[in-house]
Amino acid sequence: MIMAPARRNRPFRANLLAGSLGLAFGLFLTLGPSRALAEDRPSSAEIVSLRLVPEQVVLEGAGASQRVLVLATGPDGLERDATAQAGLSISRPEVAGLGPEGKLVSISDGEATLRATLSGRSALAEVRTSQSGRTEPVSFITDITRILTRQGCNGSSCHGGVKGRGGFRLSSNAMHPAEDYDWIVRGGGYQVLTDQPRGPRNPRIDRQAPENSLLLLKPTMAQPHGGGMRFEKGSADYRTILSWIRAGAPYGRASGADPVIQRLEVFPQEAVVLEDGRYQVLVTAHFSDGRSQDLTEQVRFESLDREVLEVSSGGRVQGRRVGEAVVLVRAAGKVGHARFGVIRRTLDSFPQVARNNLVDEEVFDKLERFHILPSPPADDAEFLRRVCLDVTGTLPPPERVREFLASRHPDKREKLVEILLDSDEYVDFWTFRWADLFRIRLSAYDYWEWVRQSLASNKPYDLVAQERIAAQGAAGASKHLIRAGANVERVAAEQFRVFFGRRMDCAQCHNHPYDLWTQNQFWGLAAFFGRATNIGSGSNQVVYDDPAGQEQDYGEMGQTALVFKPVTHPRSRTRVEPAFLDGTVLAPASRTDQRLELARWMTDHPDFARATVNRYWGHFFGRGLVEPVDDFRLGNPATHPRLLQRLAEDFREHGYDLKHLIRRIVLSGTYQLSSRTNPGNREDGINYSHALPRSLEAEVLLDAISTATGVPEDFVPPGGEIYAYETAAPGTRAINLKFPASYRSRFLDIYGRPQRDSVGGRDNKANLSQALHILVGSTYNRKLGQPGGRLAALLNSRASDREAIEELYLATLSRFPADEELERLTGLVGSHPQRGEALEDLLWALITSREFAENH
Amino acid sequence: MKKSSRWIVDGADLSRRSMLRVGALSFMGMNLSRYLQAAPLASSSGATALPGKAQACILLWLNGGPSHIDMWDPKANSSFKPISTNVPGVQISELLPRSARHMDKLAVIRSMHTEENNHGMGHHYVMTGHRPNPSMKFPAFSSIITKEMGPREGVPANIIVPKIHPGYRNYYKAHFLGARYEPLEIPDPNDQGFEVPDLSLPDWLTVERMESRRTFLGVVDQLYRRKVERAEHTSMDAFRAQAWNMILSPAVREAFDLSKESEATRDAYGRNTFGQSVLIARRMVEAGSRFVTALDLNRPETGRDWDTHFGNDYQHRDYLVPVVDRALSTLLEDLEQRGLLESTMVVVTGEFGRTHDLNVGGGRDHWCHCFSVVLGGGGIRGGQVIGASDERGAYVADRMVTVGDLLATIYKAFGIDWTKEYMHPIGRPLKIANSINDETGTPIEELV
Repeated sequence: MIMAPARRNRPFRANLLAGSLGLAFGLFLTLGPSRALAEDRPSSAEIVSLRLVPEQVVLEGAGASQRVLVLATGPDGLERDATAQAGLSISRPEVAGLGPEGKLVSISDGEATLRATLSGRSALAEVRTSQSGRTEPVSFITDITRILTRQGCNGSSCHGGVKGRGGFRLSSNAMHPAEDYDWIVRGGGYQVLTDQPRGPRNPRIDRQAPENSLLLLKPTMAQPHGGGMRFEKGSADYRTILSWIRAGAPYGRASGADPVIQRLEVFPQEAVVLEDGRYQVLVTAHFSDGRSQDLTEQVRFESLDREVLEVSSGGRVQGRRVGEAVVLVRAAGKVGHARFGVIRRTLDSFPQVARNNLVDEEVFDKLERFHILPSPPADDAEFLRRVCLDVTGTLPPPERVREFLASRHPDKREKLVEILLDSDEYVDFWTFRWADLFRIRLSAYDYWEWVRQSLASNKPYDLVAQERIAAQGAAGASKHLIRAGANVERVAAEQFRVFFGRRMDCAQCHNHPYDLWTQNQFWGLAAFFGRATNIGSGSNQVVYDDPAGQEQDYGEMGQTALVFKPVTHPRSRTRVEPAFLDGTVLAPASRTDQRLELARWMTDHPDFARATVNRYWGHFFGRGLVEPVDDFRLGNPATHPRLLQRLAEDFREHGYDLKHLIRRIVLSGTYQLSSRTNPGNREDGINYSHALPRSLEAEVLLDAISTATGVPEDFVPPGGEIYAYETAAPGTRAINLKFPASYRSRFLDIYGRPQRDSVGGRDNKANLSQALHILVGSTYNRKLGQPGGRLAALLNSRASDREAIEELYLATLSRFPADEELERLTGLVGSHPQRGEALEDLLWALITSREFAENH
Repeated sequence: MKKSSRWIVDGADLSRRSMLRVGALSFMGMNLSRYLQAAPLASSSGATALPGKAQACILLWLNGGPSHIDMWDPKANSSFKPISTNVPGVQISELLPRSARHMDKLAVIRSMHTEENNHGMGHHYVMTGHRPNPSMKFPAFSSIITKEMGPREGVPANIIVPKIHPGYRNYYKAHFLGARYEPLEIPDPNDQGFEVPDLSLPDWLTVERMESRRTFLGVVDQLYRRKVERAEHTSMDAFRAQAWNMILSPAVREAFDLSKESEATRDAYGRNTFGQSVLIARRMVEAGSRFVTALDLNRPETGRDWDTHFGNDYQHRDYLVPVVDRALSTLLEDLEQRGLLESTMVVVTGEFGRTHDLNVGGGRDHWCHCFSVVLGGGGIRGGQVIGASDERGAYVADRMVTVGDLLATIYKAFGIDWTKEYMHPIGRPLKIANSINDETGTPIEELV
């Protein structure tokens, strides 16, 4: 689609606009392309339709401007940014002037029509200007915060970082402008754990000699500035800041009624460009007084994947390589984003795929919009192995594989899912999954029982969450509150990580650098836990909420006791009242069971359902719609926001039924796609065009080896007197251990079992110890030929080489060997002097293969 | 000596061009120390600013927190007397007579200050320069050095000996830096049947058998390799190739084979877990490892580590210090004899020091506000004392040294740009030498 560079070279009159806007344009301006941007011009024959964005341009106030886009659709259905190639003209140039790159500027009050033409097609937009004589005084809240944001001054790696830079701290993205104003106008150095500024408060502006203000000297490098040169002396930003200080550095309007940005509108919300394609992003701010304004030139753009996509400081996107990336838009106090797919070529047609449910509607629609070809559906064997491992953490035995593959029942996949959801293995496996997430450790076995019972009875998940958050007495769930080193902030942060998918830990010490959560909000929520305390010792501890908020300090030796105290804000050192996110303080009359109040509020909050379905989605697909699954924040948007929303609503409407959620997911066509990629989707890692293979977890892999070899693992507790270790009966599966980390196991160690000392502590990345263990370690070698095992039984049977090979394949990879495999393997086994050794070596190869170690 | 002139004299590049660059930057309003802060920008184009002598590091980790006033920073409130060393004017505790003879090789930092007074937190803090944060995992400086220096000779680059308590394992991890830099854990080398697991062929498994298995695996793996590609596969392929070589070639196995050492050498290091761990460390560094952590954990004789909440004095005198004194002094001698001292840094520390006053049980409790760390070899200028504690060893009296400063010093000795920042996967920049208040640490200029 790359077109020859246009050779038209009309006079470029952009510089006319750069000067005083008071100058009336008497000309009917028609601007041609700038040469640098001309390459991606679609050829004339290929334009199917043309449109202008926005279709209605409203310009309010003196010098108000609006960038417009000319979008041309080719026969391939791809809409390209053709602003640079199109001719633009305005019917009444005395109303609005036309600058470079499609920028309209108000000149006088009136109405006009903007016309774009390209290759014989044209598009129109209405232009209306008003109050062209009105100028707004410069204010901090409107103008200065925008400069600080666009120039990156308040970025989280500069002054917007946790502790600021060089003693100067700004809220990231101007999320808290009143505080920023204070640091600038009153001065002082920020300190983390106190309200007190560090050092003398020297204002960063100089009202007597505005040019000598630090706010101007630093960014122009007139004084050393770690952040380097941000703008030149005399530049537009320089002049704005200078006139603001000259005007007395006002925060906002005298009336105090400053319109605030309520919403950022980013255009496009999503678009597809070719590998070298370009696209201009437009940003419109909608204000609280009903006005809206083009903010494109006053925001900061950031590509979240610069390998895939680059974006210029002016919002011009450039594709780099095939993939998908988000362009984050930071305006003062607000964040928005645009999502871009970068493709090599458009799809001629999208295959007919069954849309089983809402999952497929959203996933396949997006694949079609983004020109990504889905893989074909997984065959029965691939589906069987995948769903068994995902729903039960268990390999299907060979008989079940044969049975399923042979069945001609049209609903056999649905039936299989029902059988799996009703199985004991479902309860086993999800108890294990939850025990990880809920961090069930030593001496917390009634906690484990509570989890198991909850799953066995398919307890609605909102009830599970409420029982855990509000746990009282000796009930199982209360055990998660009693743990060495537990404190209010840790317990509170963990609830939000587990049930809201948000990482609040950052907000303990400072306002969250990447999100809206403030330190005050965090401590308001943490205060709900401030009355929790406990009596008793060891495994006989009882949790209760002490109305007085019992203050105990067990000091260093008090490691078995809960050390909750009335919650004190770490900066202001004042007592914090329990308050919800919106600042509503829980009425004293409602504080008899304040954690229950919090629990109800949390489970009613939309974040609860969203976080839960996203966590489950991440389990079944190897990647969350928001990834990492517990990192919801403004700067980390979901790949499929509508799917996340619909799935969450569906989950809520079905009474937070986890089995329903699993059915929704695994019965979708999306889940049932093959993991085999094609040239049209090989680069896709986030759109579910094919299944993503995932490493099995340590415990599941160990169980799989035991099942495949037919030799169970004996788990030996390390002994010792401090804790009451559980002992596992011989043959217990790893996923049925209450706390796997309490057993001696080299295998589990090197495959990354978590200690459960933090949420998300599992690390099952490949390592050298695994590679050594595969070659000579006991797990992979001792079990192979053991008497009573699968191989021994097979060798004692009358099975032929071919049958034996098939049986071993079914027991490990849950499929029959392919013809080429069978042919080569029968050859290898047949020519081997020792049949038993040959089959043993084959079994070793099968359990150490990639295919075995992954769910694919 | 003035700070600025020292930098230039010791700087890597005395060429006129580099001087001109300094000049140009000064002209732009930057002072000299800022020039060095700006080093990563300059070095990103090519060479690292300063070459280092250190090629490998041996960390002697005294778990639980050794009592600094009973070892490196003698005070009147210690029960033990100070003794002279082979460096005039430098005294250490009488519990360290052997190390005193090697003081010229050692530098003692007596004004170390951290912010974590609990074992886990303090351990994490010293190893990473960060307080634990459930939202993110911080790589240990051992894995950072392994990454920055790169593995050598097909030998495991990062090693921990003996096996660490699983709860502590997180403090030594590479995390997002990548699996190649994770430490390999080695069991207790003082055990009778000491053997690194999965490193040699069991007697029932022959090389022919392994070849046969590889042939089968080639068939079994083929279809799936055609079907699926993952970054994880590439990294596992590399590990499997390395594992294969390690098992077939004797070099690595021999490095772990203490029977190759004379009885006299083994005795000199001390016939105990720590002594033999330090010996293994020396053998591994010789074979090509970059970083070996020798842990002094709970001693079999007492069942206790350096956490002497009671009986501080007898434990330090009878059990704790002699073992370390012997192993450390032997290590220094041994490295020097083998010509490895200049390229091998030795670091001795725990997670903190201990209190200046004895408690009612005759113990000393946790004390992170001021304690001692000892460095030697790897280009560290020995025979020096850095900083000072107050009269009782309670607080820093002169020149506080933070973990960030310590790490910056170590990195500089390796020629690693200590001002470097990694981008953490969650999008937060991480300083590799993170000091208090999120500042970058400063190398101790007298030492490197």
